[in-house]
Amino acid sequence: MKPLSINDITPEGLFEARRHFLKLGAGALVSTTALSQLLADLPKNLSLTYTPDTNPFKLTLNTEEQATNYVNFYEFSTDKTAPVKLSQTMKTSPWNVGFFGELKTEQMLEVDDLIAKFGLEERIYRFRCVEGWSMVVPWIGFPLYKLLDYLEPNTKAKYVKFTTRHEPSMFPDQQKGLFASIKHPYVEGLRMDEARHPLTFIAVGMYGKRLLPQNGAPIRLVVPWKYGFKSIKSLDLIECVEEEPKNTWQVMDPKEYGFYANVNPKVDHPRWTQAKERVLGKLTKQDTLPFNGYEKEVASLYAGMDLRKLF
Amino acid sequence: MKIFLILLALLPLGVAYYQLDNAIDPIKMLYAYTGIGAISLLLLSLIPSSCKRICTINWLRYRKTIGLLAFVYTLLHVSVFVVLDSELDFMSIFEKSLKKPFIYVGLIAFIIVLLMALTSFKKLFAKFSKYHKAVYLALTLALLHSFWAQKVAGVFEYGIVAVGLVLLGERVWAWKKRYM
Repeated sequence: MKPLSINDITPEGLFEARRHFLKLGAGALVSTTALSQLLADLPKNLSLTYTPDTNPFKLTLNTEEQATNYVNFYEFSTDKTAPVKLSQTMKTSPWNVGFFGELKTEQMLEVDDLIAKFGLEERIYRFRCVEGWSMVVPWIGFPLYKLLDYLEPNTKAKYVKFTTRHEPSMFPDQQKGLFASIKHPYVEGLRMDEARHPLTFIAVGMYGKRLLPQNGAPIRLVVPWKYGFKSIKSLDLIECVEEEPKNTWQVMDPKEYGFYANVNPKVDHPRWTQAKERVLGKLTKQDTLPFNGYEKEVASLYAGMDLRKLF
Repeated sequence: MKIFLILLALLPLGVAYYQLDNAIDPIKMLYAYTGIGAISLLLLSLIPSSCKRICTINWLRYRKTIGLLAFVYTLLHVSVFVVLDSELDFMSIFEKSLKKPFIYVGLIAFIIVLLMALTSFKKLFAKFSKYHKAVYLALTLALLHSFWAQKVAGVFEYGIVAVGLVLLGERVWAWKKRYM
């Protein structure tokens, strides 16, 4: 018998939707007030409708349990699992993202409006942390270029700057001032051609559902060929800018972290090697691939650059 | 009493073994268990002599046991590095040990603890016990190693440095009192 794969399981969303449909039908028989009551109770943040990824490279997904219980989210804690509990009271809806800088019309948009505008698709990507672990995650969202096409950056826009929300009441580490683990708010950046690359992704969900708070809800960046710290969480601002933004880890320690942070097995972190990686859930290691396995797609972006210097 | 101490100290290893199957990042988990265990026991091994000076309780008879337990944890920690993390690729182990300060600092600490463990039995101890002051160097290096192992140091790393400073400070203080 063929073992069950994740695709054989009825998505939680469909399962729930069916139950609600049945309830609605029953409710209609009773009264219209009961019906509208049930409609209001429909859980908003449960499932997402999206175009699935065919997974052409046959990547083996990590489990949802692994991906949602092992995170780096320093706004909550430097611990890998502590953010799971600490983030549960985080209010992620409504959530406005600001679009500013060198673009046609500066504006704020709610996450649901973005989903309505750009639609949703699934992307099964490798994810490699600079610390030496990796996983494969099915993200749901839309490519960043769709958003940029809509925003129409002007000719001065050479880079895109991303900023995590600064809201100390929500993020305990942001209350700590000088004793914070990193400088807040977290900032990341991409060159415009990197940002417009079809692989560069804005995620609002994973494993068929909305992002959980600990994974950077409600909206985050995913750049699969770069170390995980580039994939900034809980976005507050997306700005088109002229100068290369100073990303948080580069500011923290420029000898150890650069602007580009492309996954590169040949360029070590000063303190540890990057040649291999620990796939979450496994006791054995695997070779790290140049550009995290996306060399064919993205290597041309860096033609002629010394990747040892521009790490 | 000693047996109880040994069983208590080895208990975390049992917990680690039990958790291994469901661990999300098993290699890192084993590093953490064995590393935290080694440093904690190394710090603990300094307590008997401090205690004798300060509170006149004599626990010196447990010192060797604690020290050897620290060695067991250190050995396991290094085994994780050699067997699981480096998969017995000795070229890469050699290269990493030479190039990465965070690794060679840990390795020097390991060699000190290893030599101390080997010379901790009767005849050899009589000859080498004076060199066992090297534990202070091993501890300092181990603390540095644990600091460098993290992307940014957290509560645990600062905590063990604080405990280490208190224990080493007490020795400096006792030494000053005696000779100055």
